[in-house]
Amino acid sequence: MSRTRRDPREEREARRLDGNARPRWRLDTPPSSSRLRRDPRREAEAARVPGAARLRLDRSGRVAGTLAPPPIAAEPIAAPTIRIIEAPAFLIAVVPDAPGGRLTPLDRQLLGAARLLSDAGGGAVLVLSFGAVDGLGAAGVDRTVALAAPPGGDPTMRTAELAGLLAALQPRHMLFPESATGGDLARRLAARIGEALFAGAESLTARLATRPAGNRHVEQRAAPPRLVTLAPDAQLPHTGTVHEARRLEAPEIAPAPAHDAILSVEDLPVAADALPLAEADFVVSAGSGVTDFELFRELARALGATPGASRMVCDAGLMPRAAQVGASGTVLEAACYLALGISGAPQHLQGVARCEHVVAVNTDLHAAMVERAGLAIIADAQQVMPALIAALKAESQR
Amino acid sequence: MKTLVLLSDARHPVSGRPAPTATELQAINLARGLADEVSGLHAGPDAEAARGALGHGLARLEHREIPAGHDPLPSLLAAIGSEAPDLVLAGRRAGAGAQTGLLPYRLAEALGWPIVADAVALAVDGGVLEVIQALPKGARRRWRLRLPAVVTVHPAAPAAASFALGTARKGQVGAAIGIPAPLDEPAMEERPYRPRPRLIASAAAGAGAAERLRAATQAAGPGGRVMVDPSPEEAAQAILDHLRAIGVLKPASGR
Repeated sequence: MSRTRRDPREEREARRLDGNARPRWRLDTPPSSSRLRRDPRREAEAARVPGAARLRLDRSGRVAGTLAPPPIAAEPIAAPTIRIIEAPAFLIAVVPDAPGGRLTPLDRQLLGAARLLSDAGGGAVLVLSFGAVDGLGAAGVDRTVALAAPPGGDPTMRTAELAGLLAALQPRHMLFPESATGGDLARRLAARIGEALFAGAESLTARLATRPAGNRHVEQRAAPPRLVTLAPDAQLPHTGTVHEARRLEAPEIAPAPAHDAILSVEDLPVAADALPLAEADFVVSAGSGVTDFELFRELARALGATPGASRMVCDAGLMPRAAQVGASGTVLEAACYLALGISGAPQHLQGVARCEHVVAVNTDLHAAMVERAGLAIIADAQQVMPALIAALKAESQR
Repeated sequence: MKTLVLLSDARHPVSGRPAPTATELQAINLARGLADEVSGLHAGPDAEAARGALGHGLARLEHREIPAGHDPLPSLLAAIGSEAPDLVLAGRRAGAGAQTGLLPYRLAEALGWPIVADAVALAVDGGVLEVIQALPKGARRRWRLRLPAVVTVHPAAPAAASFALGTARKGQVGAAIGIPAPLDEPAMEERPYRPRPRLIASAAAGAGAAERLRAATQAAGPGGRVMVDPSPEEAAQAILDHLRAIGVLKPASGR
């Protein structure tokens, strides 16, 4: 077992009180540990009975008010430092998927890879996005160019615009995520400009990239060409310094028409209740706190979510085994998980580990699921469910 | 309606023996729903793997013989020019080799035809092809395009027809010499594949078992908002507002 070693000097420096010539340290609250250290002198001072000639201490806590920690001078909050790269030696262009203007985990990993490539030689990361994207600076982006082509629909126009930008900006690499949208766009672009594509890179440096081939029996290695797609979970996302994400004007590119053989492209509504759990994006799950399963299914339909369940419920036969979430059921990849009456056994939480957002409704304030959740409601799930359905109905009638 | 299915020189992922790939067989199945007679096209040194597809409902196989390691695109273009199909179907990735999935795109670009990736259903109505495309998270997209077109098939498409020895032996193979096209760029260095660990940000390397369990089961960020004993209506409104703020639910129509 390895544990990070404590550095007592560093811990003491963190507690140094400023503003005095003589060094002084705060010794009552150690900043590194969550456990508070008791200060017997301060406790005794708080328990002192006032007015008595002789020292009298009342330990029952009636005389002493609350034991508030002594006030400390508030430290001025430093503005977050933004790393600015004024004159980059080269550009690493990244085309994230960013559905709905939010970066996906793979997009963040892609930006992490681009950050490493550009930091190795004094370059800058340039994001080419269709529509505005949130949180680019924290993800390590130096420059952004918003593109004109529509984000959905026919990718022919997007391909033509990217080909124009590749010629105009001359980035050293153009990186795509190896996802359905990004992989498709990268292959269209590679075919359009007749360049090599390094598809599904599992490691990526300026000198060498590797990818699996031949049914994952062979590893191909080469210096990365201009166009690269990155496999999921191959790189860590960028953390730490915030970059400026300065907006650049898009160079003038003649707009390309859509392919004349494509008549229409439209998204079909998702039949969420028939989806397999592993594919679902939004899961509503029932645990022992739910007794009315007709109501639960109605709620899942009203929210447009895929119904799931805990092991307890599936063992009791109240929900099918295919709906079980957790280590022995399905490990979810959903964006949001709404847990109704689930306290959160470790095996269940493992199934939710990759969910981005968790909402919990539970009667127990100290349940593990409440700790995991971004929004926790301490209430009976049986009473919240009809209220949710009624609220959704009232909104749809308005 | 003439449909051509591109077949790769596929290998079984475990045994390494010549065997057709699942998505190519699913493509044959989809094509049989549009036309009675479906032909296959393969360009490569031998057609042993592609011949296996004859038992899964392929009527005829065109083989263009080219040396190993050559680019199959010119031979395929020549064969498509002489066959003049309305629709060219392909698998998602080849069953062996580099498996970049780039060939259908290069083919569509060279022909000037539209390409749709990851089809799960096809229908034709008066020269207009309707393709249902599979997207991640169970989403589907409907494309309507004028034929001719190139379409690649997703693994979620209906399962392939099972193998029948009789049809496999009845199927005809038309062999011809293809156009040799050696590749300009040098071949990439190849090594035996070594699986790499999936990198997960929250689980610190070298952390103890307790830390790794916590990283696997708890949120990375600070704890969220807790509402203790709200009325059911308040709770419902808070949940709906939160779901809208994180973009899971669409904004209410009335606002």
